[in-house]
Amino acid sequence: MRDRFLAPTVGSLLLWGGMVGIALGAAALGTSSTETLVTQMLINAIVVIGLQVFIGNTGILSFGHPAFGAYAGYVVALLTMPMSRKLLQIPDAPLGLAEVETSTVAATVLAVGLTLIVGVIVGLALVRSGATSGAVAATMITLAFLFVTHEIALNWTDLTDGGGGLGFIPRLEGRLPIIVTLLASILAARWFAESKTGRLAHATREDDVAAASVGINRIRPQMVALLLSVGIIAIGAVLRVRALGSMTPSFFYFDYTLVTLAMLIVGGRLSVTGSMLGVVAITAGTEITRVISGDDVTVPGLEWLLRPNLSDLFLGGAMLGFMLLRPKGLLEDRELDHWLRRWLPRREEQVAPPPEVANPATGDSTLRTVDLGVVFNGFRALADVSIEVEQGEIVGLIGPNGAGKTTLINAVSGLVADHEGTVVLGGEDVTDLAPDELARAGIGRTFQNLRLFRGLSVAENVAVAHMASAAQGRQVPDIDALLAAAGLWELRDRKASALDYGNQRRLELARAAAAGPDFLLLDEPTSGMGETESAEMVDFVRATAASIGAGVLVIDHDLHFIVSICDRVYVLDHGELIAAGPPHVVRQDAAVKSAYLGED
Amino acid sequence: MIEVAQQVVDGLGQGSAYALLALGLALIFGVMHLVNFAHGEPVTVAAYAVFGLALLGLPWWALALVAVGAATLTSIAIEAVGFRRVRQADDFTLLLTSFGIAVLVRAAFSMWVSTTPRQFRRPDWIFDTVRLGPLALETYDVVVIGVTLVTLAGTWYLLRRTMFGLALRAAAEDFDAARLMGARADRVISGAFALAGLLAGIAAALILVRRGQAEPDMGLNILLPGLLAAIIGGLGRLEGAVLGGFALGVAESLFRAWILPNSLSGLTDAAVFGLIALLFIFRPEGLLTSRKAERV
Repeated sequence: MRDRFLAPTVGSLLLWGGMVGIALGAAALGTSSTETLVTQMLINAIVVIGLQVFIGNTGILSFGHPAFGAYAGYVVALLTMPMSRKLLQIPDAPLGLAEVETSTVAATVLAVGLTLIVGVIVGLALVRSGATSGAVAATMITLAFLFVTHEIALNWTDLTDGGGGLGFIPRLEGRLPIIVTLLASILAARWFAESKTGRLAHATREDDVAAASVGINRIRPQMVALLLSVGIIAIGAVLRVRALGSMTPSFFYFDYTLVTLAMLIVGGRLSVTGSMLGVVAITAGTEITRVISGDDVTVPGLEWLLRPNLSDLFLGGAMLGFMLLRPKGLLEDRELDHWLRRWLPRREEQVAPPPEVANPATGDSTLRTVDLGVVFNGFRALADVSIEVEQGEIVGLIGPNGAGKTTLINAVSGLVADHEGTVVLGGEDVTDLAPDELARAGIGRTFQNLRLFRGLSVAENVAVAHMASAAQGRQVPDIDALLAAAGLWELRDRKASALDYGNQRRLELARAAAAGPDFLLLDEPTSGMGETESAEMVDFVRATAASIGAGVLVIDHDLHFIVSICDRVYVLDHGELIAAGPPHVVRQDAAVKSAYLGED
Repeated sequence: MIEVAQQVVDGLGQGSAYALLALGLALIFGVMHLVNFAHGEPVTVAAYAVFGLALLGLPWWALALVAVGAATLTSIAIEAVGFRRVRQADDFTLLLTSFGIAVLVRAAFSMWVSTTPRQFRRPDWIFDTVRLGPLALETYDVVVIGVTLVTLAGTWYLLRRTMFGLALRAAAEDFDAARLMGARADRVISGAFALAGLLAGIAAALILVRRGQAEPDMGLNILLPGLLAAIIGGLGRLEGAVLGGFALGVAESLFRAWILPNSLSGLTDAAVFGLIALLFIFRPEGLLTSRKAERV
């Protein structure tokens, strides 16, 4: 465990050193206007790390994070402004604020505290809206939050004095608080990304449905990421307001969203190192465009380009250019510490994996459906289906296309929540459980069209599944052994998206098994495979099920596969169960023959 | 009672532009799962085209046609230059691409035209009123609602009774299949952007007749209510988008007139958007949609 955090810690220190070095170097070389620029850059770096913690780890695009800064900024402005100024500017401020003056430390603590409360409220809204990676409703909520915050700041003049803003805020002395905060922010961001909660957030970012299927509840990791990001941004905002000595509604509005977002995505939203690179690049870029478009510089033939507002064109262009050409930014998901790992001391690499997955005693649980029925927009996809799978046995589910096989699995695993009938697991009614709760209760699954955490490594894919269930006290298999059994041991550090198809299929099954389920629902594990691969898959399914002691319900079109692996078979047609029994018996059944022949 | 009716008509007038923009957003979302943050930019371009040609002394109806034409071309161009390259990308990339385009257009007008609003002459009839029984209605509202209804009827005909409409609805219905159509998908998507641009152009004409000015922020400012309307109706649902637009307009009008005290009327937009944020919280899929089962 200590090893895991060593490289990120050293990497963070180096990254921080680099940022401070660049900043102080520029300050030493430049004029007094460079001094201000450098201070702003370091503060923006803090805010961008805050953005990275949320957007990078959860994949939810937020336009509204600067608005959190507005709350912190106003708290610190209102509490630290001299009383004499307040009585002049905002004598009618509520709560008698005009006659309060606190120390900056107290004001900062209150600012961060209040902003975190706002963060909890916004977070509940995001969670409630079903926020997943790239979710539109969530992004709109953040946009509405930005807009509403700005409107309130503009219009609640008793408190904010409107668009002109508040001034005479005691200035920050020196850069030390900024530099220290930057280090703390970088460390917090890197540690979070490497933490268990961070990994779980990454899984939901990569594929929320798959994450739920291995028992990950997305709400906690998303909330933790949000509150950490809000905390960092609140402190950054306090520093920004104190550095400027004033606070207006436009400080933390659209233009600030634009600048910080551009910094984040140019460098790489998935990487703290990348986002710092983006801060430097965008700061340098906007400063250069500002200087060359100013009155002091004239370039013959380029006057048409070197005009005021060129920096906005630069920001928009940078954002658009990266989205079109390199959407994950300069560094994508690489961190400084990934290079460091080669040199840092670490535990002796385990050369060979454990020989086999430990074989736990098979339980005697049963998974049953009772009169399961599903209707989609008036179309009956499933009617009164009652099936039963014992732990330790392999049961097939076959039928022509559109027979309702996948719908059955989706209903059992909670993805189709709106269904008739009940699902009973080990004697308990689990009908109303959510997909992640069902997974933790012992129902694992794979998907017809593969749902891996594509941006995570092979080992991480399996590890996150393992983590979510282990935390619940489920008995889980050894993941190294699972990887070895899947033939993925040598490939464990590759990205899941880089595997070939057969390996991806096996990884998905290994991931489902890593949660230690009592039952595995497999949706066409051999889909798209050749004969040899299919045969290997038969062995792998059988071995995996036996090693974790799970019951299996497997859908497949390949009758040969079904016959060779299954103890019993259920046959569905038009949403109804038309036959059940041992494979060789079902094969001779007249109804089954006609269903299949009718299909062919 | 009469006052309520008048506020409602006023709201419908305001909501007309939202409805037309929301319908365009819904069309685009349907064919490429893109929430188009750049959908306000055709309005900005139309405004500046009108500003430029108004200097030549064109009559208002010719300027209205200019607005429609400029917006349509802008929308087609944005798709061809920008979105065509990221069609297969994830939602995150799509969202930020459209945001980048919006920022770029805004910056271009700030740089090369002006950061401050540019005025042009408005037709005289917009301040007239017509009496309809006990109601005194602004001519402007009547014209806006009339034009919008005709436009919506035309759009409905196009979508329901022509081959183009069929292709578009098919693409919206089965997004994955539409992606596989290849060259034909190009035409359908391009057509959707053209139609969305046309609707945005009509919205722009209606707004410009009243406002008589062009400014760089226009597109982003008008986009937000359009987007909210589209989401209120359930993104991708065409009827929902239209209803969402009118509902938003009426809600704003009623809020401004009664619900908020005068001292807080500056907070109308904040209150309405706050309410809508609440709506997303309880019905993230919008008012009209039933949650569709995701294919897994």
